[in-house]
Amino acid sequence: MKKHIVKYLLIALALCVVYSCVEYHPYDTNIDGEKGLNERNIALIEELCRDCSEIRFAVVSDSQRWYDELKLSIESINAREDIDFVIHAGDIADFGLRTEFEVQRDMLQKLDVPFVCLLGNHDCLGTGEIIFRKMFGDFNFSFTAAKTRFVCLNTNALEFDANDAVPDIGFIEEELQSLPSDIERSVVVMHAYPYCDQFNNEVAEEFHSLVRRFPSIEFCLHGHGHTFRAKDIFEDDIIYYQCPSSGERAYMIFTINEEGYSYEKIDF
Amino acid sequence: MRRLIFSILALLCLTAESSLAQQHRSHNDYEGWERMIPTHVKGQFAGGMGLLSAGIGWDYGRANQWESEVMVGFLPAKYADNTHITLSLRQLYIPWDVTLSKCFSLEPLSCGLYLNFISGDRFWVRQPSKYPGAHYYTFSSRIRLHACVGQRVQWNIASESLLKSISLYYELSANDLNIISKVTNRELKLSDIVFFSVGVRFQLQR
Repeated sequence: MKKHIVKYLLIALALCVVYSCVEYHPYDTNIDGEKGLNERNIALIEELCRDCSEIRFAVVSDSQRWYDELKLSIESINAREDIDFVIHAGDIADFGLRTEFEVQRDMLQKLDVPFVCLLGNHDCLGTGEIIFRKMFGDFNFSFTAAKTRFVCLNTNALEFDANDAVPDIGFIEEELQSLPSDIERSVVVMHAYPYCDQFNNEVAEEFHSLVRRFPSIEFCLHGHGHTFRAKDIFEDDIIYYQCPSSGERAYMIFTINEEGYSYEKIDF
Repeated sequence: MRRLIFSILALLCLTAESSLAQQHRSHNDYEGWERMIPTHVKGQFAGGMGLLSAGIGWDYGRANQWESEVMVGFLPAKYADNTHITLSLRQLYIPWDVTLSKCFSLEPLSCGLYLNFISGDRFWVRQPSKYPGAHYYTFSSRIRLHACVGQRVQWNIASESLLKSISLYYELSANDLNIISKVTNRELKLSDIVFFSVGVRFQLQR
């Protein structure tokens, strides 16, 4: 009996060692593992794609609480060898919990190519936006790949106060003024799209008029809607592509070269 | 953390050499209004109820196998946006105890549920009115329900003082939202959602 108890206890404690991570609160911001990922991955993307004449990237979006499906999409992307980088269009977390960010980040880090993550509305819940900022970085950022400027914006206005500028018009104007001189095309990426429930629709027209000022704006990318959609929201031939959620078992691939762009929806 | 676990382990190995005896959990029952007097005091590290938490509780039942307790914890600003206070209501069931020696006994299983509330403007019980529709977000970020299992070693103090025994315990716990996520995702590992906590419990007597 005694021996059994000891054995039983040893097994239980060994399990504790395996699980020896602590949680002060589900919304604590005490992140395990890598932080500041976007900045580091942007440097990699810019380095890898500097002299490319053509780039091909995948867009994954709204993977919240679809861990199995996210893993399948990552395996599918890794199985191809023609992808230069991956953009996650937001909603990594469903509830904004630290564990959600950590598990999805760890899955995304299994990608063979660098990736960047945008802020989604679900990522803002609880202390989520603080976790996101630590783990990925600024909510608005941009990078260049093969002379294409990618402008990634926080558009989740409903999650922020009226005094937080969402979308940050100031950031967009500054970006327009400080564009590298060799930029030939632009792509604007966001999570929530103009005229949806999250967007600050009072500035939708102003937002789009600024988007139009980017050099040869090719198209806009967003998530939030969970299904694939290609819509000319402002009826001026600038298409807003809505990327399917991981739950739809699909992701998008875009190819940009000197002749223009093409896209494909990949089901897995 | 590993060092702490090692010490618990060493303590258990030392004490496991002795024999089974009577119930150590039982104590003189209070009567009437005295039932309001807490029967134990606890302090805990981690476990989703703050960095540190402390509380009081009552044990009851034929072999005092039930414990209800109230814990107050704090989450320092270093680990969140601001300092937060948490309040937990925990119900535990401790079916057995095993005597290891004259002084030590073991409770091989404690299991239960606890509700945790956290302070702060970021959290809500129901979604704020700014959201369109009644079900924009359908969960509460302020209230979490945790399930826990653990074990304890109890040092029985042979004295007539107020303090009857001191127990060291650990618990493994998981919260409702992560459990829901785990149910529909094979890729979400148990080790992703189960967390470790330790604590100390002081049994009081009249």
